[in-house]
Amino acid sequence: MMSVETEIRFKLNGREVSLKVPVAMKTLAMLRDKLGMTGTKYACGEGECGACTVEVDGRTVNSCLMYAVDCDGRELVTIEGLRTPEGLHPVQQAFVDHGAVQCGFCMPGMIMQAKNLIENNPGLTREEAQRGLEGNLCRCTGYTKVLDAVEAVVSGKSCGSRP
Amino acid sequence: MNAPERSLKRVARAASGPHGAGARRPFVDGVEKVTGTARYTADLPADQALVGKILRSPYAHAELLEVDISEALALPGVHAVITGDACDMPYGVIPIAQNEYPLARGRVRYCGDPIAAVAAVDEATADAALARIRLRVKELPAYFKAADSRQPDAILLHENKPGNIERQVHNEFGDVEAGFAEADLVREHTFECAEVHHAMMEPNAALATWDAERGHLTLHSVTQVPYYVHLTLARCLRMDPAHIRVIKPFVGGGFGHRTEALNFEVICALLARAACATVRLLQTREECFLAHRGRPEQQTRIRIGLKRDGRITACQAEVVQRGGAYGGYGLVTILYAGALLNGLYDIPAVKYDGYRVYTNTPACGAMRGHGTVNARYAFESLLDMMAGELGLDPIEVRRRNLLKAPTETINGLKIMSYGLPECLDWVEQASGWRERRGQLGKGRGLGVACSHFVSGSAKPVHWSGEPHAVILLKLDFDGGVTILTGASDIGQGSSTIITQVVAEILGVDYSRLRIIANDSAITPKDNGSYSSRVTFMVGNAAARAAENLRALLITAAAKRLQVREDEVEWLGESAVVASDPAREVAFTDVVEEALVATGTLTVKGTFTCPEEFQGGKHRGGAVGSTMGFSYAAQAVEVSVDPDLGTIKVEKVWAAIDCGFAINPMSVEGQVQGAVWMGMGQAISEETVYEDGRHQVANLLDYRVPTMAESPEIDVHIVESIDPNGPFGAKEASEGPLSGFMSALAAAVEEATGARLTRLPMTPDRVFEALHPKSRPAREGAAGGNR
Amino acid sequence: MPVMPDFELLRPDSAEAAVALHASRPASRYLAGGTDLLPNLRRGLADTATVIDLGGIAELAGIRVDADRVHIGAGTTLAALAAHPGIAAELPALAQAALAVAGPTHRESATLGGNLCLDTRCRYYNQSTPWREANHYCMKLEGDVCRVAPKSKRCYAAFSGDVAPALLALDAEVDIVGTNGRRTLALAEFYHDDGMRWLALDRGELLAAVRVPLAPGWSSGYEKLRIRGAIDFPLSGVAVALARDGERLAGLRIACTGVSSRPERIEGLDALVGQPLDDAALAQLEKLVLRGIQAMETTTASVPYRRKATPILARRLVTRLWTEAA
Repeated sequence: MMSVETEIRFKLNGREVSLKVPVAMKTLAMLRDKLGMTGTKYACGEGECGACTVEVDGRTVNSCLMYAVDCDGRELVTIEGLRTPEGLHPVQQAFVDHGAVQCGFCMPGMIMQAKNLIENNPGLTREEAQRGLEGNLCRCTGYTKVLDAVEAVVSGKSCGSRP
Repeated sequence: MNAPERSLKRVARAASGPHGAGARRPFVDGVEKVTGTARYTADLPADQALVGKILRSPYAHAELLEVDISEALALPGVHAVITGDACDMPYGVIPIAQNEYPLARGRVRYCGDPIAAVAAVDEATADAALARIRLRVKELPAYFKAADSRQPDAILLHENKPGNIERQVHNEFGDVEAGFAEADLVREHTFECAEVHHAMMEPNAALATWDAERGHLTLHSVTQVPYYVHLTLARCLRMDPAHIRVIKPFVGGGFGHRTEALNFEVICALLARAACATVRLLQTREECFLAHRGRPEQQTRIRIGLKRDGRITACQAEVVQRGGAYGGYGLVTILYAGALLNGLYDIPAVKYDGYRVYTNTPACGAMRGHGTVNARYAFESLLDMMAGELGLDPIEVRRRNLLKAPTETINGLKIMSYGLPECLDWVEQASGWRERRGQLGKGRGLGVACSHFVSGSAKPVHWSGEPHAVILLKLDFDGGVTILTGASDIGQGSSTIITQVVAEILGVDYSRLRIIANDSAITPKDNGSYSSRVTFMVGNAAARAAENLRALLITAAAKRLQVREDEVEWLGESAVVASDPAREVAFTDVVEEALVATGTLTVKGTFTCPEEFQGGKHRGGAVGSTMGFSYAAQAVEVSVDPDLGTIKVEKVWAAIDCGFAINPMSVEGQVQGAVWMGMGQAISEETVYEDGRHQVANLLDYRVPTMAESPEIDVHIVESIDPNGPFGAKEASEGPLSGFMSALAAAVEEATGARLTRLPMTPDRVFEALHPKSRPAREGAAGGNR
Repeated sequence: MPVMPDFELLRPDSAEAAVALHASRPASRYLAGGTDLLPNLRRGLADTATVIDLGGIAELAGIRVDADRVHIGAGTTLAALAAHPGIAAELPALAQAALAVAGPTHRESATLGGNLCLDTRCRYYNQSTPWREANHYCMKLEGDVCRVAPKSKRCYAAFSGDVAPALLALDAEVDIVGTNGRRTLALAEFYHDDGMRWLALDRGELLAAVRVPLAPGWSSGYEKLRIRGAIDFPLSGVAVALARDGERLAGLRIACTGVSSRPERIEGLDALVGQPLDDAALAQLEKLVLRGIQAMETTTASVPYRRKATPILARRLVTRLWTEAA
C-alpha cells in the first residue's frame, strides 16, 4: 500500500528535523513510529484524553488530531524535550516528588499541559490549573496530587534544574 | 457500645525521618515516567514486527458455520491468518471454569468475540486482509440482561451451565430468621448498579516473537499477571512452559482489567508462531472496552435487621450479576459479594444467595474492590436509611457494630487488626460531621460510609504448594543489591514498596538498590498484582530475603571485625562493634568478605499464608479470606442543583487503616485514586449496550471523571499495625473505593430528600428521583423512594 | 494505530482559491482545526480524496471590533475567541460558549468555523466502522433507516456545537464564499433541521467570517448541561441575549443546541417583550423553549430529561441576566 510522502522540516525539542511523511499521518504517529520518540502516548487516538499532548509553537495540542505535514516550519516540544543535562524540568521534578505519578501513562501529556499553563500564567491558581488540565484524563491519581505538584512549582517549592 | 478499647502501637521513627519503611519516597521509576523514557509495551522497538489485527464478531450470539480465510491468505503481504482452528484449548483464570477460546470455535457469544486474526506487513494490509474474511453464521437468540438469560426457554450459552447460571452461591451463617425476629426494625430494598469498566489509560498491547529454530516464544504484554499469562500460553499453544518467556514492561494501569490472561495476548502469540515472526498487536480503545472484565451490572436485594439502638441482628442479601459471555473470574466475583458482607461489622447472622449469569455481552471480571463494591453500596445505603428511620446518627450506628480484633467472623474470616474506629473518629472530626451535618443548607449534604478489602487472597488461584511470594536478592562484587521480583508494578508502586522494605532492613543507601521485575527468564515467579496482595505478601517475602542477606553480611562483618556475630551492630553502609563503635568496617569490605569462597550471593525470601487464614471450610470459603483486612471510612460532601439534577462532589475526607504506611505518600495516592474511581462509578460511568453492541466504547462517551468535577480528597492514615503484615502493613488501594457510592447517596439525600438506589447518579436519574412523576426515561433510571 | 485513508492535501492561500480547488475536486473537504474532521475520518464517517487545508488563508484569521459590530474570521481558534477581552466584555455568551467546548488543547486547534459547521452527532453514527456495519448502518451514512426514529424519512442526528446558539442569540450573520462569489446569511438561515443536510451551504461553499452586531444595553450568556465538567458535548446548551428596560423586557433571544438537528432559535419570544419578567412570562418562556426543541435519542442520556431540563436552563439563564441587568 503505497502512499505519497511529503518532505517536512521543523524544529523538534530544539533540533532541526527533516523527514518524509505520508500526508495522512498524524503528528503522534510520526513522533512514535517515524522518529522513535515514544514518550508521547497513544491512548484514544481521537482527542478524548490528552495523553498525546505536545507543544507546537508554544501552544499545546493533541498530536493525534494534527497531521504531521502541519509540523512543517513549526517548533515542537515533546516530553523528551523538557529534561536538560542539568536535570529534570521543575514540573517533572515536582510530579515525581509529590507522588503525582502512578502508572505514568497520562503523564507525558499531563506534564506538557501543566508546563505550558505554568509558563503562560504567572501566579497560576489551583482553580486555574484545574480548568487548564481538565482535558487530560488520568485514571490513577484522582488528580489531587497532580494539582499539589503544579501548586508546588508555581509557589517555587519544587526544586528543579530550571526556574 | 462494643467498640474495642484500644491504643495503637507506634513505630519508633528516627528523628531524621524514616529511611526505608515509613518514608515518603518518590517512586523508584518516577523519573522514567515523567521523562517519557519509560517503555510501555507499545513503545518497544518493533521495526521488524508484523502488524497483528483481530476480526471480531458483529453478532451477539451465533453459530459459526464457516470462516473462509482463503482470500485473506492470498493477499500479498499477509503472513498469517488464523481462526479458532489455531487453538483448541479453552482457557480461563479459574482452573475449574475454563470456557473461552482465544479465537471463537463454533460459536460467538458477544459482539466483539474474536473470530480470526491476521499478521501482515503493515496496518493497511492487515485491514485489507480482515475485510476479505467471509463468515457464514446462524444467528441465535441473544440475551443482554441477566433476567432474559434466566428465562426457562432461553438457550444455553454454555451447554454445561443450566439456566445460564455460571455459579450460584447459597449460604447462611448464624441464624438469620432468629436475627430478624429479634430485630426492632427490618427493612428490605433493592439497589442497582450499572456495569463499569477499568478504562486504564494504556490500551492493550502485546509483542510476540517466535524463535523458529528453537521453537521458543517470547511475549511482552501489558499484564498484571505475567505468570498466569505464561501458564495460559503454555496451555493454549500446547507448549512446554520452559520454552516460553513472558516479560511485562511498564504498564499503564490495570485496576483488574489485566488480572487474567486476555485473548489478545494469546492471539498475538498464536500469530507469531503461525507467521514464524515477531508480531505486534495493538488494541484500539474500543477493543479494550470489548476485552472488558469490568464490574458487572448488579442487582442487590438486601435485608437488614436492626435493634432500636442500632445493633445489627441479621443481614440477608440476594445478588444477581450479569456476568457476560465467559467465565473469567466470575465465580470469584459472586463469592466475594457474599463473603465480604462480613468482616466490616459485627453481624451475628448473614444469609447470602448469589447468581452469576451468562449473557451475550463482554465478559466481566475483577475490578478494583472485586465483587465487594456493589454489595457494599447496598448494605451501607440500607443501613443509613434504617438509621434515619430510627433517628440514629449514621456514624453512631456504625460504632454500635464494630468488631474487636483479633476475631473470626461467622464465615471463618480472621480479623487480626482493625483500625475502623479511628477511621470513623477522624472522618467525623475532619468533616465537621457533628456541627455541619444537617446545617449545610438547601442543596448541600454530607454522607458517610465504611468499607474494607483483603490484603491478598490467602489462597492462590492456582494451588501448587509453592510459597505465595518469592523475592530474590543478588549481591555481587560491585556492592550493588539487585532485587528480583515477579510482582507486577502497574502504577500502584509495588516496586517502590519492595525497595523500601529491603532498604529498611539492609539499611543501605538507595543508590545500592536496583529492582528488576517481571521477566520470567530472570525473576522469580509471582502470582501477580491482584486482590491487593503485593504489599502484604511480596513485602513479607522481601523482608525475609533482606533479613537473610543481612544475616550473611553480619557474619562476614563479624569475621572482618574479629568479633562474634552478636557483637556486631549493623548500620547499613557499615558495621561496627557494638561496644566499640570506632571499630568499623565499610559495606564494600563486608561484601568482599562475604563473597570469599562463595562468590555472588543470591538470597531468597518467601512468604506463605498459613492454612488457618485460608477461609472457612464451606464451599467457596477461600474467597474473601486474607491475613489482613484494610479498613476505610469516608465522608462525602455534595451540592445538588435540584432544578437540573446535577451533582457536584465538593469534598471527600477518607481515612484508611492500612496497618502501617510503608510509603505514606503512596498510600495517600492510592486512597485518592480509589475514592475517585468510586466517584466515577457513582456519578458518571456506565457501559451501555444496544442489542449487545457496546455503545460507549470510547473515552468520550464512557465518562471517566475529568479534573473539572473532581474534588479534593483529604486522606488520613490510621496505623493499626497488623501482626502479620510487613512492618504491620496491609493494603490501601481497594478498600476505600466501595464506601464512596453510599456516602454520596446519603449526602444527596440530605441535600434533596431523595435517596438514589441506582448507579450512576447521572443528572437525568437524579432529576427523575427529584421529580418522581416523570415517567421512567431509560432503563436503570433512578427511582426516588423514601 | 489505525491507518488513515490517504488523500491529496492542498493549501490554498485565499478563500477564492479554496473554493475553486473544491469545485475542481469531486471528493474534497475543508480542514480547519481538524478536531471534528480527524476523528470522523478515523472512524470512517467521512471519506475524502482531497483535503483542503484552510490554515494558510489570511482572510479567515483575526478578530476586529468595530464601533457597531465584531468581525471574526472563521479560522479563529476557540481559545483565541474565549481569551479576547473585547468579546468577553461585549459578547459574553460567545466567550462562554467557546470556553465550554471540549478541553483546553482542543480549543487551541478548533476554530469558530469548524464549531459552526460541526457534523451532527448521534449514538448510532459516532461509532467505529465495524460497529456501524454490525448495526447495518443508519440513514446518515450508508444505510436507509434512522435508528433514532425508524419510521422517519429524515435523519435526527443532533447538532452539538456550543458556539452556534450563542451567535444565534447574538443575531450574528455569516459571510460565505462560493464559486459564484460571496453572500451573507443570517446565522439562523445557515442551518436546516435535518441531521444529514444541516448546513445551508451549497457544494464547495466556504464559511469565511462571522459578524456580530454590538447592541448596547443587551447582555448575554451561555449555559451548558453535560455530565462531566469538561470534554463532553452538550446534552443541552442554551444561549440567551436579553435587554432590560426598567421593569420591562426590552428584547429577548434564546437559542438551544444539542436538542435538535440544528441549533434552534426559539420562536415566539417577541410576545414577552415589553412585559415584565414575572412568573407568567417565565412560564410562557419555558413553554416556548419546550415547543422549539426536539430532543431525540441521539445520546445515552434520557430524552425526557433533556426536554425538561432545557427550558429550566433557559429560565434560569434569563432570570440571571435579568437580575444582573437591574
